[in-house]
Amino acid sequence: MGLTLSAAAGGATHAAGAGAAGTGAVTGILTELEQQFPGVDFVRQETKDGIPTAWIGREALVPVLRHLERGVDGPFRTLYDLAGMDERVRANRDGLPAADFSVVYHLRSYDRNADVRLKVPLAGDRVSVPTVTGLWPSADWYERELWDMFGIGVDGHPDLRRILMPPWWEGHPLRKDHPDRATEMGTFQLPPDDDLLYQEALEADPAQDARTVVLNVGPQHPGTHGPVRIILTLRDELIVDAVPDIGFHHRGAEKIGERQTWHTYIPYTDRVDYLGGVLNNLPYVLSVERLAGTEVPPRAQVIRVMLAELFRISSHLVFYGTFAQDLGAMTPVFYTFEDRERLMAIIEAITGGRMHPSWFRIGGVSQDLPAGWEQMVRDFLDYLPPRLREYDRLVMQSRVVKARTVGIGEIDKDTAIDRGITGPNLRACGFEWDLRKKRPYSGYDRFEFDIPTAARGDCYGRVAVRVEEIRQSLRIIRQCVDQMPSGPHKSEQPLAAPPSHDRMLHDIETLIDHFLGVSWGPVVPPGEAICPTESSKGDYGYYLVSDGNVTSYRTRIRTPSFPHLQALPLLCRGLEVPDLIAILGSIDFVMGDVDR
Amino acid sequence: MPDTAWHIIEVVVMLLLPLLMAGGLTVVERRLLGQLQDRYGPNRVGVMGEMQVLADAVKLLGKEDWIPPFADRPVFVAAPAIILMSVLASFAVIPLTSGFAVADLNVGLLFFLAMSSLGVYSVALAGWSSRSKYPLLGGLRAAAQLLGYEVFMGMSLLGVVMMAGSFDLSTIVEGQRGLWYVGPQFVGFVVFFIAGLAETRRTPFDLPEAESELVAGYHAEYSAMKFGIFYVGEYLGITLVSALMTVLFFGGWLGPILPGWTWFLLKTSILILVVIVVRAALPRVRYDQLMSFGWKVMLPLTLINLLVTAAVILAT
Amino acid sequence: MVSPTIDLVIEFALMLAIGAAMAILFLFISHLLAPKSKNPNKDQPYECGVVPESDARAPMNVHYYLVAVLFVLFDLEAVFIYPWAISLRELGTSALVEMFVFIVILLVGYFYAWKKGVFEWE
Repeated sequence: MGLTLSAAAGGATHAAGAGAAGTGAVTGILTELEQQFPGVDFVRQETKDGIPTAWIGREALVPVLRHLERGVDGPFRTLYDLAGMDERVRANRDGLPAADFSVVYHLRSYDRNADVRLKVPLAGDRVSVPTVTGLWPSADWYERELWDMFGIGVDGHPDLRRILMPPWWEGHPLRKDHPDRATEMGTFQLPPDDDLLYQEALEADPAQDARTVVLNVGPQHPGTHGPVRIILTLRDELIVDAVPDIGFHHRGAEKIGERQTWHTYIPYTDRVDYLGGVLNNLPYVLSVERLAGTEVPPRAQVIRVMLAELFRISSHLVFYGTFAQDLGAMTPVFYTFEDRERLMAIIEAITGGRMHPSWFRIGGVSQDLPAGWEQMVRDFLDYLPPRLREYDRLVMQSRVVKARTVGIGEIDKDTAIDRGITGPNLRACGFEWDLRKKRPYSGYDRFEFDIPTAARGDCYGRVAVRVEEIRQSLRIIRQCVDQMPSGPHKSEQPLAAPPSHDRMLHDIETLIDHFLGVSWGPVVPPGEAICPTESSKGDYGYYLVSDGNVTSYRTRIRTPSFPHLQALPLLCRGLEVPDLIAILGSIDFVMGDVDR
Repeated sequence: MPDTAWHIIEVVVMLLLPLLMAGGLTVVERRLLGQLQDRYGPNRVGVMGEMQVLADAVKLLGKEDWIPPFADRPVFVAAPAIILMSVLASFAVIPLTSGFAVADLNVGLLFFLAMSSLGVYSVALAGWSSRSKYPLLGGLRAAAQLLGYEVFMGMSLLGVVMMAGSFDLSTIVEGQRGLWYVGPQFVGFVVFFIAGLAETRRTPFDLPEAESELVAGYHAEYSAMKFGIFYVGEYLGITLVSALMTVLFFGGWLGPILPGWTWFLLKTSILILVVIVVRAALPRVRYDQLMSFGWKVMLPLTLINLLVTAAVILAT
Repeated sequence: MVSPTIDLVIEFALMLAIGAAMAILFLFISHLLAPKSKNPNKDQPYECGVVPESDARAPMNVHYYLVAVLFVLFDLEAVFIYPWAISLRELGTSALVEMFVFIVILLVGYFYAWKKGVFEWE
């Protein structure tokens, strides 16, 4: 398969270079671990993203993770992601420990600005891992998802039950032997008495006294921004406990990733954070490009940045208006949607789509910018700032808004890091961390912008950070417009999809590439990569495993909203129902992003 | 018996006029909010949407008149009737123009305070009898809210009472021939305006309804005309409070050239518009904030206003 | 000609009666015109699409009664002030001083309650 080989050779260096984690620090941590744990066998694995990756035995897992979490200099305080994988039909496993399943622990150290990935091979009849909820509270939901999706047990987990699928579901969807289409599964039938069974499993903490009331907020509630159920235990209106229940929006995006070709999966990414538009495409295509070693031409990079920032503004505008709506202010949402509508007109002119443009391509973007785009964008850049000043007076400076949000739903920086909180919600705690600065991707290092932060980590701070981010995004977009490079909008490399037309009829090699790329889809060389990006909600990445095929072997979507929503009980305990709504609004989650 | 006939005319006018205004308000509010929010509002029925009232009424009449089987039936049905009756009865003491009031009561103001605060029963009972959690919370909030504003509502009007030396609304209007009370009693006006918003459960005090928190609060389980009555009741309440503010602070029917009742209606309408604009401008407070605001800020303010007014009256 | 008081009573009775009649009329017309359809799913209280688990009856916060008692006190106080307000001009300065003393006494209790945190809901 000459196609794959040539591509892999072409872009390997670029892919590694983009991983700002830096290969030096990388091997460093694994060497440190080998010295610390001489008895443990660390099987190193090469990955395309440059993140140090090693396989370790199940027994050594917890001590090693504990050491990483608190023992090392620059500890890995964040459990960035925890996911499983069905290894049973994977062809390219040279040098890896034998396994039926594996579990990936992706950790992040903010002190080092580095990530590390540990994998545990599981085989035989005992497919389970020990829990790490004691190290990272955010592991709770990840481990439940692990059980739900793969049937991998988690020993010692306090509450191991399904999280995304309904409790009566049979099978574990992300196992390779689970069908991925409803047509392969026979007629769907709800179990009898489904309602009651379903409800029972979700009952709140039974340790309630006579004075408490159990109140369901959601899934059909105007304040939850999507189908999520929060089971509140109230004393009067004070929240004694809150238990979020998710999965209503689960569409199996990860499973679909194993079915669609690399290229045809792009529209599905749009629907994950459905307010983010191309912000979803970006982490996906970046990861695929790392795997395929595709170089993106400068013009395409700047176009991507511009579109991504436009969508960041769009997402934040929706957030801004609906947040005010949650506080009972009726008007701002109409203003911000009006602005968003103008922005959508630009998006539509450029991409032809609005909410779900599916416009980025592997190796570039779908089309070049249309004639007249520049004026449209410039008009918007001039239009928005005065409007933002008006909203400041209407919302941010309102005394009622301040009374409702300052000091409400506070979380401090350390807790936020422990809980895997990222993005604006982390910056609201006064922590200046932005992937666009710290690990620049897609050429973000060429732009000037500030990282807004707030001090208290409360609702007000979370809004203030996002409002300022809108202004910073405008700055970036202005630089994009001013310095838009010329050149192709898509890579000429054979793995870029869909392949370029221009040279197709001139030489047979390109014709073959084109034929394969169009009829079959690009064949991405085996490997693993993630490229975390700063989306509007937080840290967002697609961990892709290629088995040298036209589809991904495993698509793991690390979304920011998942840990954010998981931290909700922490934020709202002891407060009142109106505060809960304010907090829900302020953490800016999207259920598609949580449930995938 | 021309006397009785006159009474009946008065009664009919004072019942129909508020109802018509309240009905019209449902459209005016939506249109005005639309204008304030860069959108149209209902503009399809009739020439510019004014027939929306009829369309809504017909729609509500055609909806299923559902009484939840789990609810406390008699109370559930009575609750909307209470709000309608209490607000309409309050209109009995409002002088539309000189000598035109259903009951020129010498304690008219007290009667208003008594009747209008009955409205909270309607809301609290509706929430309680629904036997459903969101309405329950809405009802409880209404009861708690009452403690927050009612205490300063009555006292905010004492300045006016002192200046006029009467509780009779017609006398109070006559007392404003030289100067509307909104000038000397500006503090009283502001405080009463805030209390009026709380009493009618309007933004920023729409806590019992609180759409984004309690979905629809106390009337979540109501449908068809029973819901319609709550809906109209809210606008009746706004009309009533605005009418009363006109009488107490803006010289009621007093005004040059035009007949008195036009002045009265004009002033009332302007105040109603102000109430609507407030809704477009403000978010909702939390009920504990309303409570502490009422007790810690408004109550001392009214007491100071009371003593200062008394001192000024005695000094002059 | 009946006495003015009786007259007033009749007027109010008329007002209330017509008000009530209207409410009943609205409800009755609605009842007559409205379609009916039975569905067991409709016969559940609204709780965001989930079958409720416990009864929707909650005891009130004790704190509520605390404020309520205070509220009654202040409303009673207002009842004292109302007649005073009307006859202020006749009673003169001494009335003002008396009222000042009255309010000061009241305020002592008020500030005590404030310090005790009665007005903080939590």
